[in-house]
Amino acid sequence: MVGGLLCLLAASAGAQTSTGQLTITMNVQSSISLVFQNNPAVGTAGFCPLTNAGTNNVGLDLGTAQFPGSAHSAACVNYAHITGALYEVSSAFDVVVTKSNSSSANYRLAAEISTPPPANVAWLINNVTLSTTTFTTLDSTDSFGSAITKTLQVQVKNTVPAQALQETVTFLATAN
Amino acid sequence: MLSKHKSIRNLALMALLFMAFSGAANAQNPTASGVINANLVNKNGISIQFDTNSSGITLGAAGTSAATADFGAVSAFGPLSGGVTRPSVTAGSYTVRTIFDVQVVQGGLTSLTYTLTANLAAAAPIGLSYKVDAITLSTASQTIQTNGGYNTDIPHNLDLVVSTAAPGAGGPAVGTPITTVINFTATAN
Repeated sequence: MVGGLLCLLAASAGAQTSTGQLTITMNVQSSISLVFQNNPAVGTAGFCPLTNAGTNNVGLDLGTAQFPGSAHSAACVNYAHITGALYEVSSAFDVVVTKSNSSSANYRLAAEISTPPPANVAWLINNVTLSTTTFTTLDSTDSFGSAITKTLQVQVKNTVPAQALQETVTFLATAN
Repeated sequence: MLSKHKSIRNLALMALLFMAFSGAANAQNPTASGVINANLVNKNGISIQFDTNSSGITLGAAGTSAATADFGAVSAFGPLSGGVTRPSVTAGSYTVRTIFDVQVVQGGLTSLTYTLTANLAAAAPIGLSYKVDAITLSTASQTIQTNGGYNTDIPHNLDLVVSTAAPGAGGPAVGTPITTVINFTATAN
């Protein structure tokens, strides 16, 4: 009897506990990201620095240029007369696409411009002319995680009036 | 004439006697009384409940000890559900986070604080690990907090660390719900 009483006392002196359960649910999805980076040769001819590099929304200032005399203000651009009446300013940068939770081996890369350029002006990536109506394929099997160097070119005929040429180029990476 | 006066006197006496007997009868109405002997055993104890934090996922069955937290679709780069953040993305993994509240109520104890422990009910799925307040959980009990205050919501971070590897290569299953149960225990100090 005394033993039983001691047991009861011991039980009531024990630490009070309470338990609960939190059930976690999630659904993992494959995803990829695209960022623009400065090329390691940034600052040299043909490799202008990006503003906001390392993100998916960057700026690229090609300075000013004119047909006569091959004049251009930015030392980081490449300037060339393509024909007797057409000049081109270009600069290269890197595209890096990363994957997560995907077994995709590679991706395809395409680009599109947002507004129609003035007459006799063309925007190109690696010599592929871009349009406003569809994404133009640039590559079909780029490797994830690798820096892919792309060159943005703007070609201007000598008949184009003086004006600011501004364009937004959208890149689209799609996992294969 | 004298006889008439006597008759009137006798009637008056009878009326007085009747009134006197009536009063005596009223004074002797029966009464009853009783008492209730009440007992209450006030026991001590504590309880735990999960509450929705204003910055976190809206819990299912909030306010109970068996709540649910649905992170929805999670990915390294895609959109996340409300109440879910992505504090880090590295080459090998990314973390998605929500905040939830734990409230422990005690009664009949002299305890001022409690200790909170947690463990996974089963081993973590491949490619996933779970942290509460940066403490990685396993099936063994881990101490989360040693001085929790009673009767108030205490926020805790719940981190899901997801491998970026592909399914079958060390990464988690993709496109299918993954459910994990975390057991919490509050112990009065």
